[in-house]
Amino acid sequence: MKNSTNEMIKRVRFHGRGGQGMKTASRIVGTASFLEGFFVQDCPLYGAERRGAPMVAFTRLSKEPILERGLIVSPDINIIADETLLGDKNANVFQGIWEGTVTIVNTHYPASHVRNVHGIVGEIVTLDVTEIALNVIGESVLSSTAAAVVCKLTGVISESSLEKAVTRELSSINLKKETIQKNVQAALICFDRIPEAHPHYFEPIKEDKKDEIVKLEYADACLGSPSVYAKGSTKLKKTGNWRLFRPVIDHEKCSRCYTCFVYCPHSCISIDGDGYPQIDYDNCKGCLTCFYECPKKVISKDREVKAW
Amino acid sequence: MSMKNAAYKKFKDISREEHISPGTALCTGCGGLLALRLAYKVLGENVVIVNAAGCFTLLSVYPYSPFSSSWMYTAMACAPAGAQGIRDALDILIKKGKLKSEENLKVVVLTGDGAANDIGLQSTSAAIYRGLDFYYFCYDNEAYSNTGFQMSSATPYGSRTATSLPGEINPQGTVQRKKDLFEIWRAHKPPYLATVSPSHPVDLSNKFEKASKFEGPKLFIALSPCPPGWSFDASNSVNIARLAVQTGIWPLKEAVYGEVKHTVIPKFKPVEEYLRTQNRYDHLFNPVKQVDVIDNIKKDVEQYWERYLDS
Amino acid sequence: MVKEMLTGNSAAAWGARLSEVDYIPAFPITPQTEIIEVISQWINDGEMNAKFTNMDSEHSMITAAGTAAATGARVFSATSSQGLLYGYEMLYNVTGWRVPLVLVNVSRGLSAPITLEPDHNDVLSARDSGFIQIHAETCQEILDTILMAYRIAEDERVLLPVLINMDGFYLSFTREPVEVPGKDEVSKFLPEYNPKHAFFKASNPMSQGVAVLGGSAYSYFKYQMHLASLNVLTVHDEVAGEFKRIFGRSYSAIEAFKIDDAEYVIIMSNSFTIKGKAAVNKFREKGLKAGLLRLRLIRPFPSNELKTLLKGKKAVAVIDQNISPGSGGILSKDVTTALYHEPDRPEVILSFIGGLGGKDISHAEFNHIVEEMEKSIETGIVPETQLLYTKNDLDQINNLLNIAGKTLEELRN
Ligand code: SF4
Ligand code: SF4
Ligand code: SF4
Repeated sequence: MKNSTNEMIKRVRFHGRGGQGMKTASRIVGTASFLEGFFVQDCPLYGAERRGAPMVAFTRLSKEPILERGLIVSPDINIIADETLLGDKNANVFQGIWEGTVTIVNTHYPASHVRNVHGIVGEIVTLDVTEIALNVIGESVLSSTAAAVVCKLTGVISESSLEKAVTRELSSINLKKETIQKNVQAALICFDRIPEAHPHYFEPIKEDKKDEIVKLEYADACLGSPSVYAKGSTKLKKTGNWRLFRPVIDHEKCSRCYTCFVYCPHSCISIDGDGYPQIDYDNCKGCLTCFYECPKKVISKDREVKAW
Repeated sequence: MSMKNAAYKKFKDISREEHISPGTALCTGCGGLLALRLAYKVLGENVVIVNAAGCFTLLSVYPYSPFSSSWMYTAMACAPAGAQGIRDALDILIKKGKLKSEENLKVVVLTGDGAANDIGLQSTSAAIYRGLDFYYFCYDNEAYSNTGFQMSSATPYGSRTATSLPGEINPQGTVQRKKDLFEIWRAHKPPYLATVSPSHPVDLSNKFEKASKFEGPKLFIALSPCPPGWSFDASNSVNIARLAVQTGIWPLKEAVYGEVKHTVIPKFKPVEEYLRTQNRYDHLFNPVKQVDVIDNIKKDVEQYWERYLDS
Repeated sequence: MVKEMLTGNSAAAWGARLSEVDYIPAFPITPQTEIIEVISQWINDGEMNAKFTNMDSEHSMITAAGTAAATGARVFSATSSQGLLYGYEMLYNVTGWRVPLVLVNVSRGLSAPITLEPDHNDVLSARDSGFIQIHAETCQEILDTILMAYRIAEDERVLLPVLINMDGFYLSFTREPVEVPGKDEVSKFLPEYNPKHAFFKASNPMSQGVAVLGGSAYSYFKYQMHLASLNVLTVHDEVAGEFKRIFGRSYSAIEAFKIDDAEYVIIMSNSFTIKGKAAVNKFREKGLKAGLLRLRLIRPFPSNELKTLLKGKKAVAVIDQNISPGSGGILSKDVTTALYHEPDRPEVILSFIGGLGGKDISHAEFNHIVEEMEKSIETGIVPETQLLYTKNDLDQINNLLNIAGKTLEELRN
């Protein structure tokens, strides 16, 4: 195994969706590293988006004081906790990855498949973390499980530090004791399932890509002010990949009562020429209000596993 | 409002046109967004929304807009003043012949409960006082949810927020009663004032329809179940809003020039049924049941309705 | 064109009236109130076709001014001191919306302690907001500057709001003869406002003031405001040229007084400049080659013009009628920065604070300034920022302290 002394710092980037627990995951890894005696930084990056939208968080651990802050452009470990993000250009999950990056994808697909489809450089590790979370914790919150995967891959964080860190961080957000226990259990399962650290994990970071300074010219105020002339353009954001579950209407049994159409908060159900509701899957966020409110119970929900 | 001559009687009467496109940054299952979407269907597209800082500021984040109509973000305290400027400008430009009257717009203030009850109360009061011809849509999610759910003066007694956590000293969480914004606004005797709930789209639509007949302030407070803040599953917004109405916690009413009328008389389901749906009330039931706090909440609801059902 | 005795406040009201503004949101504050009273009266008498709304605060007032301008109306408003600060948040919003309105600030020292007479901490607190700032010396200049301000603000190369400053009391309540131009002349100079970038109308929906996330987009829009502001340096001179052609009065970004052969130059702004001009005349009588520059355009800062005007001068003294505690005078920094790289720059630049809260700047103080300039040239040592404060002033404050029950001896014991 190659000695990692020439690169004392490890940079971890977490990609997830608001509400999945990536901020907490970054903190668990931060606390676990802290307990191991490293210099540590962890921080989330909040965008405008609320629950369900792509977000990132970061942890840095180092044997020496950390002379960096903020965004991690080129991660050593890049965890993508929501596989639907792979196809989301806005989420930019592959930014700055290089041969030395280990990318972890939460999916039931094998690593080879992920590599073939997305052409990711560096190592790829896959694990269906959601499955483990659903089975052990009972909901798809990925903070402790994602953190466990990362802790293992660093090769420098012990099981006991992980356990302590999970307990400490989840207590601080007021989770109940039994929930925390389930999280610890799920975390340990994930820790176990991930192979030991790979020798290439700690190669020195490559040079930043060249960029240059440009001179901004005055632009007409139409361009130079933050106003929007386009109408209804949020459609371009295609929030369909926020879904964990897909609502499916059984049109055979649908009574055309309009309930689902009226109650969809995100304007994703329209009524077709025959009076049947149609779901806009490009944008449906999967809140499942329609599923819940349909008086005939003819809307079902399917877990989205083939988001790409 | 008697159903007989109401414009909306059933779901099928609700417009199929959408004025807020999908793809916004708001949370999956946001109850306030549903209420706004339904209101917009009645308002139509000749609207300019004047927004104050809050969750809904994120409806339009550069370079996107979900609207078929216009939008202006102002600041947290002053959306009603912003509405005044736009209304006055449209009026004078039309009067001076610089703008055709077909270009006129309805001016709609859009704020959360924090702006409405706290930092923006002065500018709202002033706009109502001046008789400004505008709509005010307050999405009341009962806290500062855009910043992570801190207490506002619309936060209900006994609930948990990030700045009124239940603890040793205050096991009930929030100590204060929710400010009665409806009554504060009513004291100004605006032409039209109503509460609405996304669970009652027909009631909501009729109220916006009725309001459109009045000139002057037309004010709405919309119950806005907030999945992350109130801590419940995103599919439950409508159900929880419905329970709020059915338990009597959220009275559906209107006031024309100050005269109050309830538009839905609830079935008075047990209040506990509502509280149990949301984790922000979890500390009232676990690890031990805080019977006194729950009783206080019940009593508040009972007293409210006694006052109205008697008269 | 008629000549009338007008206060600075009335001159400002005339400026708004002649500019045929559409909208005036208002909120009273001393010493500005007369402006909105006069306008309100004219509108009520049908002499002015505009909408006037009494607002509930300056925060609301500036908001309404901004949104009305964003709707496409020509907007005027006025405030002062605490009022400007109360609406401060909205100054940055209005500039970010890129809407051209004109706001008059009637300068008044900031609380605490609360006071009534002028200095410029109020208006200079807005110097980084993106508002164009023009500071006036006379009542005539206020009226003229308002007319020019709409031309500048509404220019496609600018589209930023303008803040015009006049000193409270010294101008606001002082009457002097002012030429009030006729409507026809003004309409030749100032065309209707017809925005292409920001308006609200049913046929053409748009979203304004939209949230921006990410530093690249934010930097872009902010820097555009800077570029727009810099364009004013050119636009101002064009507008001033045309103003001179039509009205005969000429204004430049910096007013130069007896500067050509001057060796000792005093830099001032606003109405107190008149005291400086009198002092320059006295120094000249004694054979000292003194001159004066009045900074009129404060934002954008006319660095190039300043460099040219001060080329080869011996000494410069900046009198700041403001104070940045812990730093000194605000404008002296702008002046010094502009000159630093000039090979032919003045040998010394001295910084003085004077006229705070409307305190007089006496001839003794001007004398002191010149003596200090001479001393610095001789010794090469430039003193720290100095407060212009006389023995007389000290006697006065000691007397006041005494009455306040704060006799110094007692406190020391
Ligand atoms: S799950 Fe149903 S209600 Fe929710 S966004 Fe999708 S279509 Fe609309
Ligand atoms: S709610 Fe159910 S029955 Fe009614 S229209 Fe929708 S799918 Fe059909
Ligand atoms: S935090 Fe609550 S109110 Fe805000 S967008 Fe999310 S669900 Fe809606």
